Amino acid sequence: MPSYAIILVIIGYLSLLFAVGIWADRKSKSKWVHNPWVYALSLAVYCSAWTYYGSVGIAATSGVSFLTTYLGPVIALPLWIIIMKRVVLISKQYQVSSIADFISLRYGNNRSIGAIVTVICVVAVLPYIALQLKAVSETFDILSDGVKSTSILTDSTFYIAVLLAVFVALFGTQTSDASRRRSGLVFTVAVESVLKLVFFLIIGIYVIFYLFNGTTDIYNQISALDGFEELATFTNIESSINWYFMIALSFFAIFLLPRQFQVSVVENTSTSHLKKASWVFPLYLLLFNVFVIFIAWAGKLLLSSDLNPDYYTLYIPLQQGHQLLGLMVFLGGLSSVISMVVVSALALSTMISNNLIIPYGFIKLLNKSNPEDNAQRIKNVRRVSIFILIIGAYFFYVNFNIELSLFSIGLIAFVIIAQLAPAFFIGLFWNRGSAIAAKMGILAGSIVTFYTLAIPFLNEVFIDGSTFVSEGPAGIALLKPYQLFGIDFMPPVTHAFFWSMVFNLMFYLIFSVVFKGNYRERNYAELVVNASSYGELEENAFVWRGEAYVAEIKKALVRFLGEKRTARALDIFYRKYELNPQEEKADARLVNFSEKLLTGSIGAASAKLMISSVVKEQPVTLPEVLKILEENKETISANKQLQQQSHDLKRLSDRLKDANLALVEKDRQKDEFLDTVAHELKTPTASIRATSEILADDDDMPKELKQKFLNNIVNDADRLAVLITNILDLEKLSSGRDIMDKKQHLLKDTLVKAVDGIYQLALQKGVHIEIETVENVSLIYDEDRILQVFTNLLSNSLKFVPENTGTIKIQTQQYGDEIVMSFEDNGKGIPQEDMQYIFEKFYQSNNQNIKKPIGSGMGLAISRHIMENHNGTLTVDEEFQNGARFIVALKTGGL
Amino acid sequence: MKKRHQQKLVILSIGLILFLNIPIIFIFNSDASVLGIPVLYAYVFFVWLVSVIITYTVINRYA
Repeated sequence: MPSYAIILVIIGYLSLLFAVGIWADRKSKSKWVHNPWVYALSLAVYCSAWTYYGSVGIAATSGVSFLTTYLGPVIALPLWIIIMKRVVLISKQYQVSSIADFISLRYGNNRSIGAIVTVICVVAVLPYIALQLKAVSETFDILSDGVKSTSILTDSTFYIAVLLAVFVALFGTQTSDASRRRSGLVFTVAVESVLKLVFFLIIGIYVIFYLFNGTTDIYNQISALDGFEELATFTNIESSINWYFMIALSFFAIFLLPRQFQVSVVENTSTSHLKKASWVFPLYLLLFNVFVIFIAWAGKLLLSSDLNPDYYTLYIPLQQGHQLLGLMVFLGGLSSVISMVVVSALALSTMISNNLIIPYGFIKLLNKSNPEDNAQRIKNVRRVSIFILIIGAYFFYVNFNIELSLFSIGLIAFVIIAQLAPAFFIGLFWNRGSAIAAKMGILAGSIVTFYTLAIPFLNEVFIDGSTFVSEGPAGIALLKPYQLFGIDFMPPVTHAFFWSMVFNLMFYLIFSVVFKGNYRERNYAELVVNASSYGELEENAFVWRGEAYVAEIKKALVRFLGEKRTARALDIFYRKYELNPQEEKADARLVNFSEKLLTGSIGAASAKLMISSVVKEQPVTLPEVLKILEENKETISANKQLQQQSHDLKRLSDRLKDANLALVEKDRQKDEFLDTVAHELKTPTASIRATSEILADDDDMPKELKQKFLNNIVNDADRLAVLITNILDLEKLSSGRDIMDKKQHLLKDTLVKAVDGIYQLALQKGVHIEIETVENVSLIYDEDRILQVFTNLLSNSLKFVPENTGTIKIQTQQYGDEIVMSFEDNGKGIPQEDMQYIFEKFYQSNNQNIKKPIGSGMGLAISRHIMENHNGTLTVDEEFQNGARFIVALKTGGL
Repeated sequence: MKKRHQQKLVILSIGLILFLNIPIIFIFNSDASVLGIPVLYAYVFFVWLVSVIITYTVINRYA
């Protein structure tokens, strides 16, 4: 394929990425850009050219060990939600913008730790970026079939590198606050992750099912070759020890590589996204790895042995004459290179500016300038760093023209990055880990790594025929860099990893327990280690004692944020904590808040420098730190309790209101009751008075008429007497003042008495009364009262049953300790709408009788009260259809 | 997420360390194959897939 065609395709592809990035930047709030899948897929920036090409190379030459790079993350991802949630929470709270910032924050915003971490990262990642460019360049050459260019100006890789630098500068440095999310950039990384996986799967399927007849076919052919065992199994115990350390190495890398920290922590928009990542990412890696061995073996079977196995993925389709497929593979590789280079360059440039350039020197310059200049300057520092890094990587690749394979350079980077592991992981969970210990550990580990990996490498490149590696420095065999202290069964990378970790870890632990950090460091350690319990304290979680003036802090803020942003931020701050903006002296919360605000722009260490230049700080001891934190926590929980209490109070007052309403309603009912009583009493009284008047005035009245009037008076007086008795009864019963004369009685006797009482009336009306008593039970009750209940029920029934065909049925049954009696009749029944009112005082059914009520309307109310005073019940059977049925229940046990 | 369910994930991690390392992995150190996939690879991929499924289940049910 001609080079210019490939270049056109590359330019087209990059423009597409630019377009996607710009689109995603504009739509940063939409659900397409802001979702857990994008987060999970962006983690796949882990799969660089090393994965895309290098895995196949290793699978073809040394077998299973390529898997170790992915098994570390597979072991790490179940822990992702536990470890990373803590890291993300702290990072968000303190506006952390890189791994260097994070580690320096944990050790009290320590300037030199931030710088050391930055240097480590640059040293590890620069060759790694060079390696990516090398992959692009070599695959370009393979694809174009051209002669390798000798001058920079004709080398397409150089231009690709420049384009990548422009891409990072455009999407990565829009604001000076490096802790802000870059949705466009992350989205393109996620898109590229999908592309590279899909392309790799396509080539895998093509190899297995198009070029061969499935996996078994490849296996049968390759297993016939010599040396197959080495590719499919561990040949000895040593190689499995190697396997063990390699997994540990990649376990660290997934957390610590600057590009991983960038996508997993800095660019994280929500901690809930961690959940999806913890299963999607291992699945992604699994898909990426299943076809690797088959592509590698197919390459071994189909291609001549002098071709570089790293590029089998590309050689296979080209050798078969499938140019387009080859171009697709190239673009997949390019995608993995672009995302790796872009994210790494972004992460490193932020670290270089915030942890190296600004805190060491630049801060003084920034201190004197105005905010616009400062923001511009910070952005420029980052842009320049991006270009220097990428172009630097390009020259590294050109000048060293690295002999090592993709795999080993990647591993060396991993070993260097792993030096951060003790300070990072132990520091997360152990509050004694101190700044000096972290520094010592990292330095010791780095020196060992340098001695066991870099020196032999440089030695080989620059000095011909050196005996340094084979015989040790000055012939001291114990110091041979690949066999330090005589350990000779590990390959160089594992060996370096092992020894550097031993020194790093021991230095870190020993220095931590021997030397105590200062109060500030311990304060931060406490906050990180107990992030979940102090997280809600926010600004309150800062322990600080000393003097500072608001005006001076404000001046420092304005210098980096500008008037507007400072005013807005302080306004929010004052409102949140309800502080007086006029206060001259700053309190600890303001100091902490300002430091956090600055961290995003100039990094943790510089922010500390800035703030401490305007405040006079006094040391606080660890017990004090803990005490203050505890107190703040208690204040907050006390606040919460107060809120809870006021909530409870509100509920209580609501309940009181309801009770009051109920009382008012009762009062109204009582008034109504009195009205009704007065009315009921007035009717017969008025009638008596009218009749008596007539009798008194008219002497000539006929005798019969006079007799009739007198009878009326007697009737009305009787009615009055009944009414008054009833009212008194009810009053006594409902206030509980009635004394019951409770004795042992036979229920049957009482029932017979009740029936006898109305027998004459029933006879007159032609009503039939049936009694079905099951047993002859003896109970304790006030016979007169119970008789009253029975009589009331019977006379009610009698009132409503039809003449001559009326029937009243009484049944008694015992259920356990309860005697249940039912009184049913075949009268007109109780209208459904009246069911719930019949037990109220003065209740008279609407359709009972329009002219004159029968009875006082208090019978059922009194009966119910009587039953309740006997610990029994009186209810109406709402289901009963053919008339009315009342149920009387009495307890046999006691009253 | 409750502590208890977090611990399930920690145990999964510990399990993976044990099952993907010596000596257990040596049980599958043979050049036989399952459907054209060497036993050692097949075993590693199987453990890998199981870990994805367990993580998925735990996260979706409890987180």
